Amino acid sequence: MAYTPRGRGGDRGRGGDRGGFRGGSRGGQGGARGGRGGFGDRGGRGGGRGAPRGRGAPRGGRGGVRGGAKGGAKTIIEPYTRFPGVFLARGKEDMLVTKNLTPGESVYGEKRISVESSSIDKSITNGDATPATKTEYRVWNPFRSKLAAGILGGLDEIFIKPGAKVLYLGAASGTSVSHVADIVGPTGTVFAVEFSHRSGRDLINMATHRTNVIPIVEDARHPLKYRMLVSMVDTIFADVAQPDQARIVGINAHMYLKVGGGVVVSIKANCIDSTAPAEQVFAREVQKMKEERIKPFEQVTLEPFERDHCIVTGKYVRSMT
Amino acid sequence: MGLFILQETPVGYALLKAKSSKILKQDGFSPEDETAEGICNLLKLKDFQKFDSAATALEQTAALVEGKVTPRLTGLLDSIKDEKKGLLAVADPKLASAINKLPQLSLKLISDNTTSDLYRAIRNHLPSLIPGLLPQDISTMSLGLSHSLSRHKLKFSPDKVDTMIIQAIALLDDLDKELNTYAMRVKEWYGWHFPEMGRILNDNLAYARVILAMGMRTSAANADLAEILPEEIETAVKAAAEISMGTEITTEDLDNIQALAEQVVSFSEYRSQLSGYLSARMAAIAPNLTALVGDLVGARLIAHAGSLMNLAKSPASTIQILGAEKALFRALKTKHDTPKYGLIYHASLIGQATGKNKGKIARMLATKATLGLRVDALADWSQEGEGKGDMITEEEKSALGVDNRLKLERRLASLEGKPLKSKGVAIAPNGVSFTPGKLEVKEARKYNPDADGLAGDEPAAAVPVSKRPSEDKINGVKLIEEVSEEPASKKSKKDKKAKVQAIKPIEEVVQDAMDEDMESSGEEEQESSDEEMEDNEEEPESSSPARAGATESKTNGATKASAKEADEISETISTVSVDTPDSPPSPAQQEINWQSSISGNTKVAKKARKEERHARRLALSEEKSRVKEKKREKLARRLDRKERRQKKAEQIERREERDDEKFGGLAEQAGLTISRYKRKLERGEIMFGPDGKPVAISKKEIKKARKAAEKAATSNGDAGSSKKRKRDDEALEAVGKSEKKKKKHHKVKD
Repeated sequence: MAYTPRGRGGDRGRGGDRGGFRGGSRGGQGGARGGRGGFGDRGGRGGGRGAPRGRGAPRGGRGGVRGGAKGGAKTIIEPYTRFPGVFLARGKEDMLVTKNLTPGESVYGEKRISVESSSIDKSITNGDATPATKTEYRVWNPFRSKLAAGILGGLDEIFIKPGAKVLYLGAASGTSVSHVADIVGPTGTVFAVEFSHRSGRDLINMATHRTNVIPIVEDARHPLKYRMLVSMVDTIFADVAQPDQARIVGINAHMYLKVGGGVVVSIKANCIDSTAPAEQVFAREVQKMKEERIKPFEQVTLEPFERDHCIVTGKYVRSMT
Repeated sequence: MGLFILQETPVGYALLKAKSSKILKQDGFSPEDETAEGICNLLKLKDFQKFDSAATALEQTAALVEGKVTPRLTGLLDSIKDEKKGLLAVADPKLASAINKLPQLSLKLISDNTTSDLYRAIRNHLPSLIPGLLPQDISTMSLGLSHSLSRHKLKFSPDKVDTMIIQAIALLDDLDKELNTYAMRVKEWYGWHFPEMGRILNDNLAYARVILAMGMRTSAANADLAEILPEEIETAVKAAAEISMGTEITTEDLDNIQALAEQVVSFSEYRSQLSGYLSARMAAIAPNLTALVGDLVGARLIAHAGSLMNLAKSPASTIQILGAEKALFRALKTKHDTPKYGLIYHASLIGQATGKNKGKIARMLATKATLGLRVDALADWSQEGEGKGDMITEEEKSALGVDNRLKLERRLASLEGKPLKSKGVAIAPNGVSFTPGKLEVKEARKYNPDADGLAGDEPAAAVPVSKRPSEDKINGVKLIEEVSEEPASKKSKKDKKAKVQAIKPIEEVVQDAMDEDMESSGEEEQESSDEEMEDNEEEPESSSPARAGATESKTNGATKASAKEADEISETISTVSVDTPDSPPSPAQQEINWQSSISGNTKVAKKARKEERHARRLALSEEKSRVKEKKREKLARRLDRKERRQKKAEQIERREERDDEKFGGLAEQAGLTISRYKRKLERGEIMFGPDGKPVAISKKEIKKARKAAEKAATSNGDAGSSKKRKRDDEALEAVGKSEKKKKKHHKVKD
């Protein structure tokens, strides 16, 4: 394997030149462009890294790992072996990236890397004759996205691949959703469900530029309310951080998930039971998922990136036996 | 029996007909039925009603989500109204019950989980079930519909009104903070020119106004400050201006200072306008909550919960500790006592309560506030509801809150042992029940953003779990020790003593009405004082005749004891003194908490800050030295007293020696030791013979004599003696009790 996820000390240190918006102030709710409103519970860790920059702040024409024009030349993009659609940028430091669906735009102030006529492109398009097309990639920060953290944490399967239909519960402002949308590409669809109006606003803004994202401002506890919008999906990703999240995932799976479809659930132990030790909480949640006819596949803690979090993946087996 | 299935798609309504209703019975579809062809064999499209535009689609789906039947849907269902027997499957139970109310439809509706497999299959093969519908159509329509639906949802959300409150209260807090920094800056800046005024005027707004009106201090004499200040302060300012030692400033400097002062004035005006707006909004949106906890606390609660509806859904226990989450979770994790109050602490009712009653009142207030909130959030005052439409007055809307508030006030009064107000007090002469707004004036001004530590930085005010007196006592003893170690508490002893005196009469008055724990605390006091007395008795090591000499020291000890008692009382009264914003912090704490009013990173600012800090330290050290001196004086006095006591003891000893000399011979003559002789002499058991020779009377003889006397007394009547005996018994009992207490105390000490 080309990439050993945890062995690299560089993962933590490399953020220095990257714009992060994790200053940890919830005040974002007030400001019009306040960044990730409503996510104060995640803030604080990794705060103060990089210069705070408003989301979508104009970055000039040329984004990406700059350091001059040479910056781009030094970076080599290679596909992440396990997951199609996810890439690895190898430069001074390694970064997880996804191919930008809307070149020239960053969603939440993340860095972009443009690569001219990369070799991957040729291999994918089978050596198409189009000369020197620019491909843009967006950096995926594992401190901000639990899915990215899970990938770096060594997940074997995320069930999200080009062309897949994903039901994303707990979409928040759409930062991670945008990367999932990058992975599934124009042929796939992401149904992004978020209940909060404040974050829903940002989600809709993000979705206007990505036509494969269907924003739904509804409570994921009542999947019937979006029955006319959602078709059968291949994967459910849930990051709802609610005490009854196993049940929420279950009822959504019963309605919309194909048999044999994947389930990826991010669990924050504190949100489910703050008194019990984290491992016990995880075990209990896995048990609850089993009862919802989801066969657990693997469990990975997000340790270097988030405290007392884990990602559990599983497959939906509808039959009772 | 036919089975019809209603399927909503982003493109339109589809009505499907199953070949047989048996497909509901089987659990799961067989693999061949799962395929598109299989399902097409089972189901047949009966009718399809396409939405003609995106606007219609939005309108229809918005209604569907709320479970309403639109005319278009009714039109579709009309096509099957002739079917007498059969089933109609609808996904949403809410919509099903709405359809069931349609008069023309005679089908039986099913919307339980027996249809879930069927719906999964339909959803899976929707394009093949509906001819002429391409998958791309569905996806484009659902994309468009989802955007318009979400936008619609954000635009017409019913709980928008309280977001205004949430923003307003947040702005109010920000304004308070800013206003304070600006006002401090004005004082600091203008203080260079006229330092004396800062001491005369405490009000920030008045200070800024005076700067605007007066300008240079030289023009103070002919400035008209009558509108801003009361007369005596005005004269004081003018007098101080004459002899001020401030530096001269140019008009340019003054212009800038005045610009800042103007900002302060306009900010203050804006703040009061905003708080008026907030009060009006709160009175309109949550009248009952406002009546119970006040508009500021109410607004904070709503802001914390996110919306009025969210707050109304939460139980009273949650509302009680809303804002103290950090403390709560820490307590839960560490298995300690959970906090007693959160944001609600700033409600005026809780401010009026003392000690343990604070927690009790917080609990009761939270329950009543929850009731009020539910009325506020869910009551339907309109004509259609149970209300009276426009006829309803504000008073009627807030009646529950006002009533409950009066109840709570009475309850608090009875808990605190204050005289109960008569019920009529709350009704003004004109018959209108008086609103408790009057009581809330204090809190607006007193609100202390630092105390918002509700956020949880401060230690949780914990509820004592057990009420066993012994444990309480342990706490009490500990607290005494802690307090007595603290140097700061010494200077406030006097006030505390005064407090004790103020509290004691109340205690006496309500002794019977008081609950157990108060009584137990009273007992504690007594005990602690007992202990002190005993200590004092041990202190002078002289024997019994030296008692007289010890009286002085005893009185001294008594004052000490009462001081200690005072400490204890103050502790029992405010167990959560950390939380109370008005408790004066110790100097050390002050030093830590102190922050320079000068901000900024420039060299000048830093220098100024340094200077300020230096001055502050000087002042602090001065204060410290003063305290030290006081201590020294006290020590000296104590030493002095000790010396005197020693002298007295010596004197007594000398006297004893003299006595020994005097009585030595006599004792020998009586055949007794000197000490025994003396004792007997005191008791009058020594008779002197005619030759001056002392004769001791033995105990037997005394007994005999007493018996004889008693016999004589019985003839006189029993009354006197029995009384006496009773009194003796009582005395004995008292002694026993004190001994018991002593024992207890030792146990505790162990």
